[in-house]
Amino acid sequence: MHRVLYLVQKEFRQILREKAFIGIIFVMPFIQIVVLGFAITTDVKNVTLGVVDYDKSSASRRIIDAFDKTSSFIYMYNLESEKAAQKKLDEGLIKVAIIIPENFERDLRSAHAPVVQALIDGVDGNSAGVATAYVSQIARKLQIEWLQDAGVAPQVLSKMHLTQIEPRMLYNASLESKNNIIPGIIAVLLTMITAFLTGMSIVREKEIGTLEQLMVTPIKNYELILGKIIPFIIVAFLLMLVGILAGGLIFGIWVKGSIVLLFALSILFSLSTLGLGIFASTVSKTQQQAMFIAWFFAIFAILLSGFFIPIQNMPDWVQVVTYLNPLRYFIVIIREIYLKGTPLVYLLNETLAMGIFGLVTFTLASLRFHKRLS
Amino acid sequence: MRSNGYAVEVENLTRIFGDFKAVNDISFQVEKGEIFGFLGANGAGKTTTIRMLCGLLLPSSGQATVAGFDIYKEYEKIKQHIGYMSQKFSLYEDLTVRENIEFYGGVYGLSRKEISDRTKELLDYLNLNQQADHLTKSLPVGWKQRLALSTALLHNPPIIFLDEPTSGVDPVSRRNFWLLIYELVEQGKTVFVTTHFMDEAEYCHRLSIMKDGRIEAMGKPRELKIKYSADNLNDVFLKAVQGGAANE
Repeated sequence: MHRVLYLVQKEFRQILREKAFIGIIFVMPFIQIVVLGFAITTDVKNVTLGVVDYDKSSASRRIIDAFDKTSSFIYMYNLESEKAAQKKLDEGLIKVAIIIPENFERDLRSAHAPVVQALIDGVDGNSAGVATAYVSQIARKLQIEWLQDAGVAPQVLSKMHLTQIEPRMLYNASLESKNNIIPGIIAVLLTMITAFLTGMSIVREKEIGTLEQLMVTPIKNYELILGKIIPFIIVAFLLMLVGILAGGLIFGIWVKGSIVLLFALSILFSLSTLGLGIFASTVSKTQQQAMFIAWFFAIFAILLSGFFIPIQNMPDWVQVVTYLNPLRYFIVIIREIYLKGTPLVYLLNETLAMGIFGLVTFTLASLRFHKRLS
Repeated sequence: MRSNGYAVEVENLTRIFGDFKAVNDISFQVEKGEIFGFLGANGAGKTTTIRMLCGLLLPSSGQATVAGFDIYKEYEKIKQHIGYMSQKFSLYEDLTVRENIEFYGGVYGLSRKEISDRTKELLDYLNLNQQADHLTKSLPVGWKQRLALSTALLHNPPIIFLDEPTSGVDPVSRRNFWLLIYELVEQGKTVFVTTHFMDEAEYCHRLSIMKDGRIEAMGKPRELKIKYSADNLNDVFLKAVQGGAANE
C-alpha cells in the first residue's frame, strides 16, 4: 500500500501542475450543465400553427382560442383551404395545421362526432410526437368543456369513456427535459473522465518511457493499477460534485435521494469505465489511439444508454444489445436517485448488473495490463 | 545470490518476433564487479537482450539468470536486485527533481526517513541543490541523465543495466557519466551497458559485439584488437560485423 500512496501523490502533483486539468475538472462540468441543460430540451415550445376553419362557428373559434392561449403554439395563419395549409407546411412556415370541417358545430351538437384533422410536420420526429400529444391534450380539454356545457353532470362525465388518453407525467410533472438531462450529463461526464483520463495517463507514461521504468521496479501489478485509478476516481468525484452543484444552483435540481448511495454506486459503475480505460491503454501505443478506442466504446455506451434516445424506441435487437451496456443501468440509477430519491432496495437489479459488468471488465483489463511489455 | 556467482549468466537465449529472430541463440556470462559492454548497430538485438534480462520481455527459448535468479520464474526478485535505465531518460519532466527522487524512492519501497536521507545525499552528490525544486524538464540533458541513473539506483542494486544511456548527450556529459559508472563499479556493482560509441567501448572491461541477433565477438578490448589485428575498437567493430556478413 505504501507504494500506492507514492503513486497517487505523484499523479496528483502532475494533475495539479497541469492548468488544463483544473479546467477539465471544474469548468467543463459547469459549462456542460449550463449549456446542455438549456439547449438539450425535448420540450416543445413555439410550434408554429395554421388553422383552416371551414366552419367559422363559435365552436371552431373556441378551438383556435385554445391553441392560441398555450405557449406551446404560435397561431400564425388563418388559412383558406387544406391546400393552402399543405403549402405552408411544405414551405416550413408552420409545423402543425388544424383543419376544422364544415358543419363542425352542427355535427357536434347533433352528436355526429365531427372529425378535426391535424397535419403535423414529421421531419423532426421528436417534436412531432410531442406536438401530437399537445394537440390531443387540447382536444380532450375542449371535449370535456363541451360535454359540461351540454349539461352532462360531472359524475356522469367522470364515468364517460373518453377516447383520448392524457399522459400524466410523474416526477417530471412539467415534462421538463432538464430534469432528465442533468443526471444524464453527470453520468456521461463520469464515463468520459474515468475512461479517457485513465487510458491516456497510462499511455502517456508508455510514450515518455516512464512506464517501462516502473515495470523494472519491484512494484506490483495491482499497485500500479490502483495508483492509476484512485486519482481519477477522486477527480471524477470532484467533477460530479461540481456537476451536482451546477445543476442545483442553476436549475434548482438537487439530488432527492442519498448522496452517499449515489457516490457508492458511481464507484461501482466506474469499475467498467476504468476497465475500459485500462483496456484502451493496453492496446494502444499513443495517446491518440487510446482516445480513439475509448471514444469508440464510449459513443456506443452513451447513445445506447437511454440518455438521448428512449430505449423502448429502439429496434428489438438493439434493445437486447443495450443490456450489455453498463451505462444503461447507471442512467436509470442516477435518474432514480436524483429525481425520485429511490432507495437501494428498488435498484438492486441495476446495481447487480452494473456490478457484474464492472468486475468482469475491470478484472479482464487488469489481467491484460501485465507488467511485462510483451 | 546463489549458484555460480556470476552476476548474469545467459545460455542459448533466443527471442523471435513473428519470423524475425531479434536475438538468436546467444550465450555469455558477466562477472560480478565487471563493466560488460554490449556493442552493435541499431537493431542488432541489444535492447531486446537487456529487456529479457530485466524481466520486461519473455524469451522464446534459452536460459538466463540475473543475480542468481531465473528470468522466467523469479523476475519479481530480479527487479529488487537491478537498476535499469533506458535510452529515454525515464524521469517525470513535470515533477521537480526532489519529487522525482521521492517518487522513485517510494516505488522502490524506501521509508520516508530513507527517502529524505537519500534525497539529501543525491542532491549533494549530483550538485543539484540549487535546482532541487525546479521542474526536471528545465535541466540540461547531461544532468537529467545523471539524475535518472541516480534515481534508478535508489534501492542500491548490485547489478545495473544501461541501455544506450548516453545517446544524445554531449561528449563532456558522456565523460562525466562514465566517471559515475566507474564509481559504481568501485562500490562493487556490476554494470551491463549497451552503446554504439566506440570510445565508450574502451571503458568496458569486456565487450561483446552483436550483429543480427548473434554475438560475433567477445573479449577484453585489448584481446579483441589483437584478434582482429586492429589499432582501435572502431576497426575491430567493423571487421567483426563485416566478417559476420561474409560468413553467412
